[in-house]
Amino acid sequence: MLNEKRIILMTKMASYEANEGKKNVAIGSYFRSDYIGWQVLKSIISATIAFVVVFGMYIFYDFEIFMMDIYKMDLIEFAKRTLSLYLGTIGAYAVISYMVYTIRYSRAVKSLRVYYLNLRRLAEMYKQ
Amino acid sequence: MTTLLVAKQILMTLYSKYEVYITPLLKFLLAFISLLLINSRLGYMNSIDKLTVVLIAALMCSFMPMNFIVVMSALFTLLHLYAFSLECVLVVGTGFLLMFLLYLRFSPKDTLVVILLPICFLMKIPYLIPLAMGLIGTPASVVSVACGVIAYYMIHYVTQNASAIMAITADTESAKFSVAKFKSVIDGLLNNKEMVVIIMAFAVTVIMVYLIRRLSIDYAWTIAMVAGTVVDIMVLLVGDLMFDTNVALFGVIFGNIVSFLLAVVLQFFVFNVDYSRTEKVQFEDDEYYYYVKAVPKVVVSNPEKKVKQINSQRAKTPQKTRSSH
Repeated sequence: MLNEKRIILMTKMASYEANEGKKNVAIGSYFRSDYIGWQVLKSIISATIAFVVVFGMYIFYDFEIFMMDIYKMDLIEFAKRTLSLYLGTIGAYAVISYMVYTIRYSRAVKSLRVYYLNLRRLAEMYKQ
Repeated sequence: MTTLLVAKQILMTLYSKYEVYITPLLKFLLAFISLLLINSRLGYMNSIDKLTVVLIAALMCSFMPMNFIVVMSALFTLLHLYAFSLECVLVVGTGFLLMFLLYLRFSPKDTLVVILLPICFLMKIPYLIPLAMGLIGTPASVVSVACGVIAYYMIHYVTQNASAIMAITADTESAKFSVAKFKSVIDGLLNNKEMVVIIMAFAVTVIMVYLIRRLSIDYAWTIAMVAGTVVDIMVLLVGDLMFDTNVALFGVIFGNIVSFLLAVVLQFFVFNVDYSRTEKVQFEDDEYYYYVKAVPKVVVSNPEKKVKQINSQRAKTPQKTRSSH
């Protein structure tokens, strides 16, 4: 026998899962630390690629001068400066992404609360 | 006003009824327009500068996610630039890559701004986008608007200075790549004061509109749009005075006014309206498979037409005629 109330509830939940809840359900399947850690790691990788590209362009821009100066300059100092710049960039970017993904996780969990409540209601309907 | 509200209701009904066709059609149109514009502005690679190729690409975009339009447009741009000069493709490609890696990865929803802003620039109404993003976005939209401005100016610089870039000769006869060209393209992009002023103006506009529209006052959205437009004009003019960017005064004011009017229309018909769609969902339990089509209830309340008699006519008493047989 078809239960109309149950179908309406299931339809609403399926619609949520297919649209705005799609991402939230995916986020909700992670533990908080796992989700944020994984996202920050991806951000660090992206920022590293971006840094390498920009640094490459910078060197390439003044390639001739750089090649002429390379024997004169203090390479260790140059490497230190580059490394500290890299760490600063990565650090700042990681902090920003940590904040963004922390907010996203808490928002997703908030939105999923109603979804889980509906799941419980549905389970009770089936028990009856 | 009632007519407008009814028009809005009718639009909502139409959209919810034909959403399956309308969304791909809109995507197709956006992709078609943007690819045509890219071809008309750049058009260095003959093999993709054809209507059939654009049509096929736009058709593909209509069935793919929205961001595919951005990817396709970036691809078209880079291919044209590749045919033009290797140095340009390197610089512009790096610009696109950095935008993707550092920002657009965070907010894929905002990616569309990067395509809409150059289109609006060509239509002389770029001021619409910061207003719109202030209304529907967050302060973070500043970055996406900035990305859109940078994307436009990268292409703009190449098209404006095409002959100058080509005139720079290669280092050696056989070399395909010229460091001098590469340097001049980078210098041209980084020293573009007009771009910086516009980014600043748009950033201030987005933040201003966002802050005001969140206030709990009557007509917050309208006030926000007016304030945003005024601030945009002011910052652009002050920037022009400070950096001597030669911004067309009339163009800025007229473009801002048109953008404001368009923003009002958008606000009425798009931003505050819930275009709830017909949903088709599938699920199952132990007993059944369910294929449900959920149609949103939208009531179009057409105003009742009452005919009011103004001139007082005496009611004629009907004469009874009796036919005699």
